[in-house]
Amino acid sequence: MAALSLHGLTKRYGSLTAVDSFSLEVARGTIFALLGPNGAGKTTIIRILTTLLRPDAGTAHVEGFDVRQQGQEVRRLIGVVPQDNNLDRYLTARENLVMQARLHGMGQAETGRRVDELLELVGLSGRRNDFPDTFSGGMQRRLVVARALVHRPRVLFLDEPTTGLDPQSRRAVWEYIESLKDSMTIFLTTHYMDEADTLCDRIVIMDHGKALVDGSAAQLKERMAHAHRYELQFRANADRYEAILAGFSFVRSLQRTGDLFRLSLAGEEYLKPLMDAIGTDDIRKVCLREPTLEDVFIELTGREVRE
Amino acid sequence: MMLTGAFSIWKRDMLVLRRSLFSELVAVVASPLTFYLAFGFGLRGYIADVEGVPYTVFMAPGLITMTAVTAAFDESAWSMWFHRKVQRTIEAYRVTPITVYDIVIGKIISGFTQGALKGVAVAAAIFLLTGVRFNPAHLAGYLSFIVLGSMVFSCAGTVCGTLLDKPETIGKVQAVVIMPLIFLSGVFFPVSSYPEALRSAVMVIPTTALFEGSRRALLAGALDGGLIAILAATALVAFAATVAIFNRKMAE
Repeated sequence: MAALSLHGLTKRYGSLTAVDSFSLEVARGTIFALLGPNGAGKTTIIRILTTLLRPDAGTAHVEGFDVRQQGQEVRRLIGVVPQDNNLDRYLTARENLVMQARLHGMGQAETGRRVDELLELVGLSGRRNDFPDTFSGGMQRRLVVARALVHRPRVLFLDEPTTGLDPQSRRAVWEYIESLKDSMTIFLTTHYMDEADTLCDRIVIMDHGKALVDGSAAQLKERMAHAHRYELQFRANADRYEAILAGFSFVRSLQRTGDLFRLSLAGEEYLKPLMDAIGTDDIRKVCLREPTLEDVFIELTGREVRE
Repeated sequence: MMLTGAFSIWKRDMLVLRRSLFSELVAVVASPLTFYLAFGFGLRGYIADVEGVPYTVFMAPGLITMTAVTAAFDESAWSMWFHRKVQRTIEAYRVTPITVYDIVIGKIISGFTQGALKGVAVAAAIFLLTGVRFNPAHLAGYLSFIVLGSMVFSCAGTVCGTLLDKPETIGKVQAVVIMPLIFLSGVFFPVSSYPEALRSAVMVIPTTALFEGSRRALLAGALDGGLIAILAATALVAFAATVAIFNRKMAE
């Protein structure tokens, strides 16, 4: 049985269709990433799967339970790390976790053991009696992750789990996520392509409420293998070379940063005529650029900045 | 599991209250005590006995009741607003197995408890600092009004905290609705001061039933069944409406 199963899921806000007949199956034990620009519909899907929002059409099941009809059963099985650190600032770190355990109906002895174990795991046992307001952003995030794990969920939802964190804190959160891999299904949304690339077994890129592409990071990058992307760097006369490069019909895209150019060609066979035209006198570097997940993302969702 | 969530939320609110109990009580006692000293003693020479008792004795039950119900309203309104809009802990609660009914009932009971506790604190302060004394046998009847009144105001506060997104709007509701309702319902003057034609209409307003009924209960030991019934019906309707409004808001 799939951990998550969505069929024809649709959610509208007035005239805006945030999620448009979205279908997806996620196997148990997968680390799954949903990528998309702002407003693509990622958070709406998470809110539906965590029973915070009711879909207008379609079905969604978490571990076989219908999010509409069996919300309480769904909530017993899920842990949620939302975009904001919605910790209770009037409770200490430990009390925040104890509160979560109580809301899940856990017994006192089990709560004590589990809470201490999690505080240890996220490196906050020395700060257990401090209030979250006194924590750094990274520490608060770790506490939110710990809170989501108190009741040993079978599916963990992470909505942009590392946004706003410094590189050390991001890596710490990645390590926790990776350490959980075998015990639960993880569903995350992120804007960081390296995060999805490093952590996830499977990635779906979506936009305007629909899935655009689905596969592993390697499979998605393979889609860009036909793009023939190169980098050229010149020692001098960059402006003259820019005019030459822009004049070629086989140069499909051209980006300039100082004396460095990133370009994609219509085919591999155009590299020779290109090099013949620009010669080698002023060239400092020429190399083939491996496609990144970000290239795939931009190719599919465009360069336009979203609100 | 029934209402376990509500109990957990109430317990959490009581833990937080306990941490700042002293400063909360000092703050809550200051305002009614100021009213008591300013009106009761400052105007003592100008105001004769009211309904057969000295003015300081007449106004004491109303001040205690006012403290209890405004504390219930304030706690419920600001707590719900803060947990929903600022801290977003309501959302954290909503992804656990508890229901929205647990959340709203927990918050209503927290507001009601705070109201009752703060009312008791003001009562204790007035008894300790002034010569006003009441017959202990009258307390049970008086408390039944306080309990129902705190419930009504806790529900009203919860509705405000649920529906109003801007904090200044909650402040406006307090200034335009809550304070006039309280002040015009007989905290500082008897309902008999109203013109004859208005009096029967004023008596069915739940806040009048609260202030007039609680005063009669404490001063004379008279438990007016009609006033209790008005207040009980209001509390019941307010509770059902609050739960329904919160449920509807959460489904948006």
